[in-house]
Amino acid sequence: MTQPPEFNSQPPEAKTQPLLRVENLAVSFDGPAGRVRAVNGVNLSIYPGQTLGVVGESGCGKSVSALSTLQLVPTPPGHFDSGSIWWNPGSEKTVSGTVSTGETPGETGSDPIDLLTLTEKQMQNIRGNDIAMIFQEPMTSLNPVYTVGEQILEAILLHQNVSRKQAVDIAIQALMDVGIADAASRLKVYPHQMSGGMRQRIMIAMALACQPKLLLADEPTTALDVTIQAQILELLRKLQAQRGMSIMLITHDLGVVAENADVVAVMYAGRVVEYGSVHDVFDNPLHPYTRGLFDSMPILGSSKHRLRTIEGNVPNPADLPTGCPFHPRCRSFEGDTHCTTNDPPLHEIAPGHWASCWHVDGHEQAKATRPDVTTVTQMHA
Amino acid sequence: MTTLNTPQSIINKQPRSFLAGVLLDMCGRWGARVGLAWIGLVAFFAVFGPLVASSHPILWKTEDGLSSPMLEHLMPADVILLAMTFVAAVLLVCKWIHFGKRVLWFFAIGIVVSILSLVFIKPPQAIVYSQYREALTTEKADWAVMTIVPYSPTDRFREMEETRFLSPTSKHWMGTTGDGEDLCSRMIHACRIALAVGFLSTGIAIFIGVFIGGLMGYFSGWVDLLGMRLVEVFSSIPTIFLLITFVAFYGRNLYLMMIILGLTGWVGYAVFTRAEFLKLREQDFVQAAIACGLPLRSVLFKHMLPNGVTPVLVSASFGVAGAILTESTLSFLGLGLVDEPSWGQMLNQARGQGGVFTWWMAIYPGMAIFLTVFAYNLVGEALRDAIDPQLKKAAQL
Repeated sequence: MTQPPEFNSQPPEAKTQPLLRVENLAVSFDGPAGRVRAVNGVNLSIYPGQTLGVVGESGCGKSVSALSTLQLVPTPPGHFDSGSIWWNPGSEKTVSGTVSTGETPGETGSDPIDLLTLTEKQMQNIRGNDIAMIFQEPMTSLNPVYTVGEQILEAILLHQNVSRKQAVDIAIQALMDVGIADAASRLKVYPHQMSGGMRQRIMIAMALACQPKLLLADEPTTALDVTIQAQILELLRKLQAQRGMSIMLITHDLGVVAENADVVAVMYAGRVVEYGSVHDVFDNPLHPYTRGLFDSMPILGSSKHRLRTIEGNVPNPADLPTGCPFHPRCRSFEGDTHCTTNDPPLHEIAPGHWASCWHVDGHEQAKATRPDVTTVTQMHA
Repeated sequence: MTTLNTPQSIINKQPRSFLAGVLLDMCGRWGARVGLAWIGLVAFFAVFGPLVASSHPILWKTEDGLSSPMLEHLMPADVILLAMTFVAAVLLVCKWIHFGKRVLWFFAIGIVVSILSLVFIKPPQAIVYSQYREALTTEKADWAVMTIVPYSPTDRFREMEETRFLSPTSKHWMGTTGDGEDLCSRMIHACRIALAVGFLSTGIAIFIGVFIGGLMGYFSGWVDLLGMRLVEVFSSIPTIFLLITFVAFYGRNLYLMMIILGLTGWVGYAVFTRAEFLKLREQDFVQAAIACGLPLRSVLFKHMLPNGVTPVLVSASFGVAGAILTESTLSFLGLGLVDEPSWGQMLNQARGQGGVFTWWMAIYPGMAIFLTVFAYNLVGEALRDAIDPQLKKAAQL
């Protein structure tokens, strides 16, 4: 499709290479209706210390993109059709002080490795160690038959060369870091004895116990009530600042994105439709879908008129509209044949702000000169 | 920093694991109590049978002094069972040792005890039961302490006149068999076979079934396809005919019987486990375990199995009952063991030999089989209700 957008909101000296770069990822699933594309040419990149917010409706491919990063997509129904996910951990971690057996070529140097080509065994060294993940449902994310301590200890003992006694200390420290009082005694507690907010803290503690460089947070606060939500997000921000890790924050809550993300990727029907810094996207949404999302958000105190909705439903991925997948619901669509026949590429409308829409200002030039990787790199060099 | 505080009462409460909760709930149900009581009785006789029913005196005084013929005549199997029961009781009390370590200790001691007793315990080969009675009547022995049922299961009272087909009397509580053996003693000694057949064959079946079913459910795809075909092949094997064929070719062997029952009985457990694992695979905590980088072994057997094994346990309790019935059927058909007593074999003798129907030979073993199967079913049902309270509610409506 197009170039992988590279964007960095960090100061230039912090910017080196992206920690994770998803290139033209396409994932499909075999279903009763035949093979269905869930993710269709997604390009993303995350820099060290950055938070990437990924927003979109249910089924737009947010979670599948994140799961692909860890090869967690079940592969009998799922297929990786194309693309690669480049992981560039720099020179440390992965090997230092871990179980790495030297089976993974390229892990030692700063060469990026393609996570999609790694074997299951190599993947196990990455999972939990370099890239950790927390899930949507804290109520079901912990194994009900083991105590919290046993579960955290297993992860620590797996990835770090420490004795059981040291592992207990690390676990206690991890629980204290996520703001759990009386951590030592809490290790002996079963998950069902804890509230949802507590369990999500445990999940975060478990994910961060091995000091990962990237945390994939798949709707980490959706199942929690608003006050706990705020606490958990504040906690994530604090831990991120302490450790300088990157976060891929998947959510459908625009408020969460506005407060936490540095960079936003708006997804629709398996592709990224708008991509830019959080200020650019929120101040000046370019894609009609993004504008529709903002219009449908209630604003506190203004109950003058009905909320505007995005007409219609998310298209069935087995039967996507031709051309731009959003055109049947688009407010800007005026029977333009261009929209119904050609899928708009993601192109840079303003510096560091991409959108894929034929109707956005400047689309005429965009049609003529689609920026490729080199131009993007020059822009940010 | 925001911290969450839980009321002290929750922290101080002794946390209880899911399995412990289920077992406690199960034991609170009357059905399970009745069932477990009966199984406990059968297990007691299985272990302590030689101490309860034996023609050998526990202790007697002869010209050679005090001796205990009963202990001298204990078989290696008797010694192993007694010793391991003792070890299990001791380990159960040692609560401060980690549970897994205690299980490990149990098996380690079990292996050592088995080897030692098989090597060193050599009971006398020729057993003459009448010697005790003769010695007592001819006053060669001063006195003897007998067991509660003072007859061995193979004691045929050769020196006496006619002890065949005696109906229950105060001497022989359940009457005698066609060979003149005491039925009560045989009933007690048959408990061991009844338990062993049930547990060993079901154990083998569960082991194979859970392993294959787990792999099928976790990997699905072509592993599932192959596994399901294997299940179909095995479920089309008629167990009884297979057993009869094997008995015809290899003779009557209890262990062979258990292995065949296990090898053909795993399909049900495999299908159960597969369904559970298919469901569990999508669960968040399994995804979280994989995302933590845990190896497949740990994900499958540490994280998924304990969550998916409970329905298998329920069907296992019914499977144990089924295995006991199968053994009884075989023995009833005259294809069971010859020299060792079993309930089905006694049932078979009830209608044969003398040409008369001897009711005590039918009632007592028949009741024992019925009660044991019933007890396992009660336990299984209680276990199912304890695991899934909704099911019980639905059953009552």
